[in-house]
Amino acid sequence: MSLKHRLSAVNWLPIAAATLVACILLSLLSSSFMSYTNLQSVLVQASVTAIMAIGMTFIIVTAGIDISVGAILFFTSSLFAKLMMDTGSYTLAFACALLCATVLGALNGVLIIKYKITPLITTLATYTMYRGMAIHLTGAQNIPVPREMGFLGNGKLLSIPVPILLLAVVLAVGLYLFNATRFGLYARAIGNSAQSARESNLPVNKVTVFAYALGGITTGIAALILLARVGGLQSGIGIGIEFTVIAAVVLGGTKLSGGDGTIVGSVIGAIFLVLIDNGLNLMNASPYVYDIVKGSVLLIAVVIDKVSVTRQQQHLLNQRAARIRATG
Amino acid sequence: MFTKQPIASLSVLGLAKAFSGKTVVKDVSFSLYPGEIVALVGENGAGKSTTKNMLCGLLPPSEGEIQVAGQTVTVVDGKQHGIGAVHQELSLFSSLSVAQNICISDLPGKPGRIDWPACRQIAEQQLAQLGVDVDVNQRVENLGAGKQQIVEIAKALLHASKVLILDEPTTSLTAPERERLFTLMRRLKKQGVAIIFISHFMDEIYQMSDKFICLRDGRQVGSGNIADTPRRELEEMMVGRTLDEAKVTLTPPSTELAVQVERLSSHYFHDISFSIRRGEVLGIAGLMGAGRTEVAETLFGLRPFEGRLLVDGEQMIKPNVRQMKQRGVCYLTEDRRRNGLFGVRSVKENLSAAKLSRFVQRRVKGMGFRGEASQAQEWVEQLNISVPSIDEAVSSLSGGNQQKVLLGRWLATLPRVCILDEPTKGVDIGAKFEIHKKIAALAASGVAVLLVSSDLPELLDLSHRILVMRTGHIVGEFAREDFDAVEIISLAASSAFEKQRA
Repeated sequence: MSLKHRLSAVNWLPIAAATLVACILLSLLSSSFMSYTNLQSVLVQASVTAIMAIGMTFIIVTAGIDISVGAILFFTSSLFAKLMMDTGSYTLAFACALLCATVLGALNGVLIIKYKITPLITTLATYTMYRGMAIHLTGAQNIPVPREMGFLGNGKLLSIPVPILLLAVVLAVGLYLFNATRFGLYARAIGNSAQSARESNLPVNKVTVFAYALGGITTGIAALILLARVGGLQSGIGIGIEFTVIAAVVLGGTKLSGGDGTIVGSVIGAIFLVLIDNGLNLMNASPYVYDIVKGSVLLIAVVIDKVSVTRQQQHLLNQRAARIRATG
Repeated sequence: MFTKQPIASLSVLGLAKAFSGKTVVKDVSFSLYPGEIVALVGENGAGKSTTKNMLCGLLPPSEGEIQVAGQTVTVVDGKQHGIGAVHQELSLFSSLSVAQNICISDLPGKPGRIDWPACRQIAEQQLAQLGVDVDVNQRVENLGAGKQQIVEIAKALLHASKVLILDEPTTSLTAPERERLFTLMRRLKKQGVAIIFISHFMDEIYQMSDKFICLRDGRQVGSGNIADTPRRELEEMMVGRTLDEAKVTLTPPSTELAVQVERLSSHYFHDISFSIRRGEVLGIAGLMGAGRTEVAETLFGLRPFEGRLLVDGEQMIKPNVRQMKQRGVCYLTEDRRRNGLFGVRSVKENLSAAKLSRFVQRRVKGMGFRGEASQAQEWVEQLNISVPSIDEAVSSLSGGNQQKVLLGRWLATLPRVCILDEPTKGVDIGAKFEIHKKIAALAASGVAVLLVSSDLPELLDLSHRILVMRTGHIVGEFAREDFDAVEIISLAASSAFEKQRA
């Protein structure tokens, strides 16, 4: 295998390079950037989106998408806060919250395969629905969570922040599922061609539902970390986070058209987005500029990807033309 | 110990398939013995693909019996029965590795832990058995067409210990790649695998096959030993003449040139030159993928090209559809459902779509239509379109009526040049004849017609001249008095990458 092919197989390389460049620029901008505490805080800030992005990678790799994750996040937080307030039982609240997050994710998958509606429309509908359900549940109240919940968001274990540990665990599980199991391989195959996957007798429906369920449970975990960090339920939780999550996945090197993806890339993508925030912050940029920059970065990434695909197609066409000419 | 008559690997009796009441394949019966290569031949649309899909288990047959190694089965299960197929459109997963593709339907290890080393080993074994060297860690998208084909065969052979079906395996291969494939087929034959070989190329069929099964219009019209059947006889069997009763009369064309094409080239064809006179029907024959549709689309301004294109003596430089329409050119697409009709809209709107400006009312500027309904009604009657009302959605019509609506849309523009791409594809016999009459009448009225068709009898009946295209080149031209069905088909279907015969 040539070096070029070998490198092109490492699809998270571009985002890793971009992140490295961002790190160098930021350390020039501020001497405190490269400090241990600051790098740790970058990782903690990225953990919520990074965990969600790992789940989202499985969905996007099947050529799907889930824009309801922000609403699932909100619903899970609401349910947890409400149960804690009403019953005071951690066991019950944790179990219910994570179970619900998984079920809501899986429901998206079931709707998509059962009624063959495009994922974008299906999850747009459930996005509104789940958010409404959450508001209905709490009556749009702000609910504080007990102080010891803060451990999940700000605590440390063996002097490593808990969110980073959780991210590491999710990353390890995600990598294993993606690379070592049939589910991971089938998910990529389905994203390549659902038709061929059916012809090869792969369990297309099961794998699809499982991918969306995985998106749900990672969102559930992220919701609990976020809730712990914020200290209580607020009505704005999760708004717009689906954009950041999908952006992290796409920046990471996963193709929106499906079939090709990387878990590591998605995590680095989430970190990269935090670095942009960090940099703008260091430059004292107006808070309104943040979204402009992040949106542009995503657009540039997508355009670069598209251009490379177009160039590849053009190359194939030229080869074809040359062959026709040669037979003349 | 050999018995005199070995058990057939696969045999079928009276196999038939109907889709929503319409029979597409009927009366297919044959037996396939170990180590045999049987060619399945027939023109486009003769039912080869449907038959193939029933044999590899993608479609359940409507009628008939399938026996695998002497046992009657209802539906073929490739994995269980040892039957594998390589389809014309490859079904590989491009971003997965070669090893992953080969093993995907039967992965070694547990579901929760794939045994990757074993997977690679199986793939390597599979490929070594075929005598080819492909890196199994390579992504499939990085391989050339020939190697992808090999991987597809290796994938099929993982299960196809008894029967391998190859559907047009050589169309995308270069000459050396094709030779390698043939060597492979011979080796499999020696190993006792029975091969069903579907190909358009007569040379290949005569080079490789022991027996043949010939299909025409969904029926099995012949079978036998290749060695006992002269090539010409087989070709005549394939072509047949089924539309004898429906002859149309052609009037001689004028001498005035309507369209001139000089040295036209693009990604899909090379150095195409021809001209069409007023009142002339110029047919283009060729196989799928020969570049016929691409030439037709280029003439309508849909694709970029190099070379010269003249309409009525005026050179068109980088024309678009709008400019071509203004010159009175129209194009009837080959794929009416995807590129032609507006499925959910009414017959009326579909008929008026190409010439809307005629109906826009002037009273309140640009508001409302006038005369659209009466015009549509007129075309429905003129083309004998059977439809309950002109407000009916066009998708609810039969194929023949849909095609007439599309034809009506373009005739409503009063064209001077008609480019017709497969005008009777998927159309019943009655509507086909009506469309033929309409085409002849168009030519008689002085319209220049370019007729692209895979239906050879149709071309022979309707054309003044026929051009034959093969892999992007014009390889032959026939005037009406020299029409020879067998020669045309053998010219169109000579091996794609062989040197042209003198």
